[in-house]
Amino acid sequence: MKKFLALLRVSLQSMLLTSVTPGRIGKRAATGLGAVALISFLGLYLSGIYSSLLLAALAPLHMEALVFTFMGMGVLAGGLLFTTLAVKGVVFGGKDNDLLLSMPVPATLLLASRVAAIYLENLLFSLFVLLPTGVAYTLLCGDGLGHSPLFWVRLAAAACILPLLDTALALLLGALIAFLSARVSRGALGQNIVMGLFLAAVLYFSFGLNGMLSSLAENAAAIRDSLGWALPLLWMGEGVMGDWGKLIAFSICCILPLLLVVAALGRIYRRAVTAFAGKSSRSDYRLSAQSASGQRRALLQKEARRFFGTPMYFWNAGLGLVMLLAAGVAALVMRERLAAVSAMAGEGLALPLAAAAIGFCLCACPIDAPSVSLEGRYLWILREAPLREGVLIGVKVGFQLLLTLPCTAISAVCISLSLGFSFLQGAVLLLVLWLFAAWHAVFGMLMGLCFPQLGAVNETVLIKQSLAVVLSMFIPMAALAAAGGLYWLLGQAGIAGMLAPIALFALLLAVCAAILIRRGPAMLRAL
Amino acid sequence: MLRIEHYAKTYPGGKRAVDDLSLHVLPGEIYGFIGHNGAGKTTTLRAVAGVMDFTEGRILIDGHDIRKEPLAAKRVTAFLPDSPDLYAFMRGIDYLNFIADLYDIPAGQRTADIGKYAGAFALTGSLGSPIGSYSHGMRQKLALVSAFIRRPKLLILDEPFVGLDPSAAHLMKAYLSELCLGGSAVFFSTHVLEVAEKLCHKIAIIKAGRLIKSGPMAELIGDCSLEELFLELEGEQ
Repeated sequence: MKKFLALLRVSLQSMLLTSVTPGRIGKRAATGLGAVALISFLGLYLSGIYSSLLLAALAPLHMEALVFTFMGMGVLAGGLLFTTLAVKGVVFGGKDNDLLLSMPVPATLLLASRVAAIYLENLLFSLFVLLPTGVAYTLLCGDGLGHSPLFWVRLAAAACILPLLDTALALLLGALIAFLSARVSRGALGQNIVMGLFLAAVLYFSFGLNGMLSSLAENAAAIRDSLGWALPLLWMGEGVMGDWGKLIAFSICCILPLLLVVAALGRIYRRAVTAFAGKSSRSDYRLSAQSASGQRRALLQKEARRFFGTPMYFWNAGLGLVMLLAAGVAALVMRERLAAVSAMAGEGLALPLAAAAIGFCLCACPIDAPSVSLEGRYLWILREAPLREGVLIGVKVGFQLLLTLPCTAISAVCISLSLGFSFLQGAVLLLVLWLFAAWHAVFGMLMGLCFPQLGAVNETVLIKQSLAVVLSMFIPMAALAAAGGLYWLLGQAGIAGMLAPIALFALLLAVCAAILIRRGPAMLRAL
Repeated sequence: MLRIEHYAKTYPGGKRAVDDLSLHVLPGEIYGFIGHNGAGKTTTLRAVAGVMDFTEGRILIDGHDIRKEPLAAKRVTAFLPDSPDLYAFMRGIDYLNFIADLYDIPAGQRTADIGKYAGAFALTGSLGSPIGSYSHGMRQKLALVSAFIRRPKLLILDEPFVGLDPSAAHLMKAYLSELCLGGSAVFFSTHVLEVAEKLCHKIAIIKAGRLIKSGPMAELIGDCSLEELFLELEGEQ
């Protein structure tokens, strides 16, 4: 146990140290706390809204348990999406593998300590989703059950136990991805394909779930009967509502798979780590005439190779790009349904809702925020080269814009066509979003320079949860909300309402660009 | 080629890593930099390469001040750290082209030089593989090839023999001599005193951040060996 706790402490330190950055303690703590508060607020808010909608449909039918089942499905799908690729880096790909595996510690113990780090990530997500559901239930359902301490004990137990199942599934899928990437010659491509298929499956499942929810009030009983494949989650719902037997059955369904997976993988952990890490080099390359290009192009190509060649980076920082393109195509395919929703929302709301949806996808593209930290131990290469720091910063920002601006344009045009916006409305939408995308890229770079982490144990944590990434995702979301507020205050469909977000993002872009140009090179030099 | 004048480096927290160090490396010279662990060798080499800032003094490379004209100074320099971490996500050939692009090396010249040096180090066949799959020695060789294809006027090496097999080490020594015959200079740190004694025209011995001896090899060691001189100086201090 002592050894396990020591190993767990190392795993957690490597995760947590990337969420803060060396610097003054006051500034560090304040920024970290601010970021956590922002994420918590958004998580709680989104989950609360969704839970309330479900309760409004299910409470009159006395099927409140299904709300916990559906939110549990959300926890499982979201957790899998967030942690599957992390498994390859955190569990199998730590740079300290050689050090730790050489120590007199059972491999299963080492595996368990790393799995615990994945579990904690899933646990955080589970708490953010399920606790607001409990609050919504307490406030909206008048049966008094929500006021019972035992209800909260059962809910807390379910929220802590469900991530065990999530972790077991992520561990299996992550191991499969690591195995495939070590076996196929183009490992990154293989991983991207597997992850793409997985994402498509999650989206398909989500659309199916949304379809179910839209007809929930009429077909609740039939829907519950059709959820036999998700029996443990049905038990969880009923367990939270008071059935202790089903809560225990649900717990067994979550704990047992994780124990089995850890025990099985623990037996082959040393072999797996060796096999997943070691791809021997080939020796059949024949040198042909090489071509030359300029510094900027070389740096851009390097950024592109890192982004597309590192599936963890691509699927975490590029998910928003996929969502932007998918949203554009979906808007054209579901044109009639969207038009109906738009008509219901009213003329003044369709435009900001479209901007908010695309802006949200852009927030999920923190491509340049972790890129300074990702240079890490490679930074000497750029420092000894005859390069101006400004060029390097410009290329990193430019690479993000090269990806986000075209995807934003495609998405905005498709959604404008689908919702029947006028030319002026479409132009305003595109302008606002391009300004937002440009500011997001510049702001992300600034965050990367302000909160660098050059000595992380693995790149996964830098990409997923470094402070720079967190801030560059959530502060722009808050800015989007502020722009929406301005639009609302200054007379929705009028010219003033349209100009306000444009002015806000232009101002933010100008300020951040000025800081980056004046201070950025010195900040990079000082690393 | 390299002139270090009253160079000093103090780390945040007040630790004085190097104090008042002055050196002059002439074109065509191989200059060895010797000292115990933590003496300040790497700190000095990194400052010369422009990788790290320093507190006092002046460093001139081919007449260019590394602080005032960093681009001009770096354009004629190649630096190899003691454990070169190279982009694991790139193939070997991509890395060499990346470096060649940063230094504006023409296509014909880079093809010829990559062929020459990668061939000599028996690395050509592996250039199509990701660097992540390379062994430590292969990475070291790739870093060396990337340094040689720049045809640097000043080559700065930090412990270059670590990780190299005997034949690669022999080859490297031959290329260092070839480079110096062409008028370039080499400034490198090492703990392998036998190699330094055979290879270097001049040496500098540093201890606890201060230069304690420097000059032509033959003049300094006289009838004894470099190892004896080094141990004697260590004892004196």
